[in-house]
Amino acid sequence: MMDQELDRTLVSIFNEMEKVDYQQKSPRRLRVDVAPEALPGLLELLKGKASYVHLSAISCVDWIEEEEFELVYHVWSYEVNSLVSAHTRIPREGACYLSVYDLYKPAGFFERDIYEMYGVYFEGSPHMEKFILTEWNGPPPMLKDFDAEAYVQDTFNWQDYQPDWLKDLEEAGGGVEIRPEDVRR
Amino acid sequence: MRPENYQAKSHPPSNEYELFIGPNHPGIEGNYAFKLRLHGDTVIEGKADAGYLHRGFEKLMEGRLWIQNIALVPRICVPDPVPMEVAYSLAVEELCGLEVPERAQWIRVMQLELSRLASHLFTFGGHAATTGMYTPSYWGVADRDLILDLFEELSGGRVYHIFNIPGGIRRDIPEGFLERVSSTLDYIESRLPDYDNLLFTNQVFVTRAKDVGILNQEQALEWGVTGPNLRATGLTFDVRRDDPYLVYDQLEFEVAIESAGDAWARAMVRRKELLESIKIIRQVLARLPDIQGPVRAPIPNPLAWNVPAGEAYARVESSKGELAYYVVSNGGDKPYRVHVRGPSSMHAVQVLEWLSVGARIEDVAQIMFSLDACPPEVDR
Repeated sequence: MMDQELDRTLVSIFNEMEKVDYQQKSPRRLRVDVAPEALPGLLELLKGKASYVHLSAISCVDWIEEEEFELVYHVWSYEVNSLVSAHTRIPREGACYLSVYDLYKPAGFFERDIYEMYGVYFEGSPHMEKFILTEWNGPPPMLKDFDAEAYVQDTFNWQDYQPDWLKDLEEAGGGVEIRPEDVRR
Repeated sequence: MRPENYQAKSHPPSNEYELFIGPNHPGIEGNYAFKLRLHGDTVIEGKADAGYLHRGFEKLMEGRLWIQNIALVPRICVPDPVPMEVAYSLAVEELCGLEVPERAQWIRVMQLELSRLASHLFTFGGHAATTGMYTPSYWGVADRDLILDLFEELSGGRVYHIFNIPGGIRRDIPEGFLERVSSTLDYIESRLPDYDNLLFTNQVFVTRAKDVGILNQEQALEWGVTGPNLRATGLTFDVRRDDPYLVYDQLEFEVAIESAGDAWARAMVRRKELLESIKIIRQVLARLPDIQGPVRAPIPNPLAWNVPAGEAYARVESSKGELAYYVVSNGGDKPYRVHVRGPSSMHAVQVLEWLSVGARIEDVAQIMFSLDACPPEVDR
């Protein structure tokens, strides 16, 4: 349960900032919508003032119709036992955002993951390089407009299941001779 | 004379060398590479290299129906698949506002704890093997097999159960199942003193594992360490107790902790959790016969199931740490986005890279296994 006093701390943080919308989804889940320029400051306050020291995950959602990426920072407090999910939206075209690695070390992994899968560049992140898709040259694969099937058709050759040598072999009556004594009964 | 395009090549110092571990099962449960730079026997730099198990689960899930994804999720972590199914189901249930029948919740808890037992037996056996002791790993895998037998009876699958679905579980437990769970638990509990003698109080293991890969509480929190690895630094935190899901708030169990934060402490936390899991399952066995009723909430036709738009973040405590699913729906019959936050995405990458610096070469494999890293969770 969220402690009454620390709840007030949270509210005072949200009131301190502009462009912050918050909504309590359940006793231990809080959703916050915040403008992209205000998010790093909000996380800094959450960590410094309200003990949200654990970055559980950064999720990225590709809202292709709105031409936006949604970044969701899930932070957890071991003291008040509650999870704040801070949502922000950045333009999809030339997506670029600020790293929070200085605040939360785990961000290094998640930011690299989003960079690989969605192409969002995080300024100041220490690992803006390939990690999982080391030998991948295509577009970021998690984008909604990346068609995996079309990419496979364009990029790879289908295996030839009827090569000439097999046809020759079949014309000659098959390849393997089965002797009568080898036939299993 | 040097040619015009000559460029001096930067050579590494002659007293340093590189060593590649993996990618074929380098002492953790899956294909994963770890590149080391060494000076003598001491590691100067470690670099994790993932991607050998990338199967694109998150992308695949966007193209499949809500119910079809149940067949995909357990494959994200081979040794501990049940938390994956449950976390995904919890997220979808939150989106739909589905109320899971009580009996199904208790059976889910039983599966989760059986899976934790199986995973811990597997892990400490592997940890022992990295210190040169192979008997505990044979024993651990053999005892884990008894739990897999139970899962086979319950679900038809030994490793991937595909048994928990949004809304409950697929079917009720078979007749006489609880007695067989009980006798398996009795057997595993009777084995624990043997394991203590063989491994946990064995001076060979204690001497090798103490003071290796030390992580203090402050560092653990800074690097996002969760689960048994965090509890080994003395922090009493468990998602089951502090962010309870299912019926964990009705169960009595201790949160096992150790304070040293080294490889030995991490192994001891798992050793204590074996007993706690057995205690939890015994409570389920005692309560379950009194809780009758359906095991599945009525769900719409799963082949034409439009989940209401929204987003949900479901967390569970897997045997490796905090496992979370972020699921977004836009009101369609398929998920719009599923993000899997595996605990190993921290432990196997940044924490391992950081802990291996300064370690001796013979301890690297032990550090890997003591963190209980699961590479498929990193790659997804």
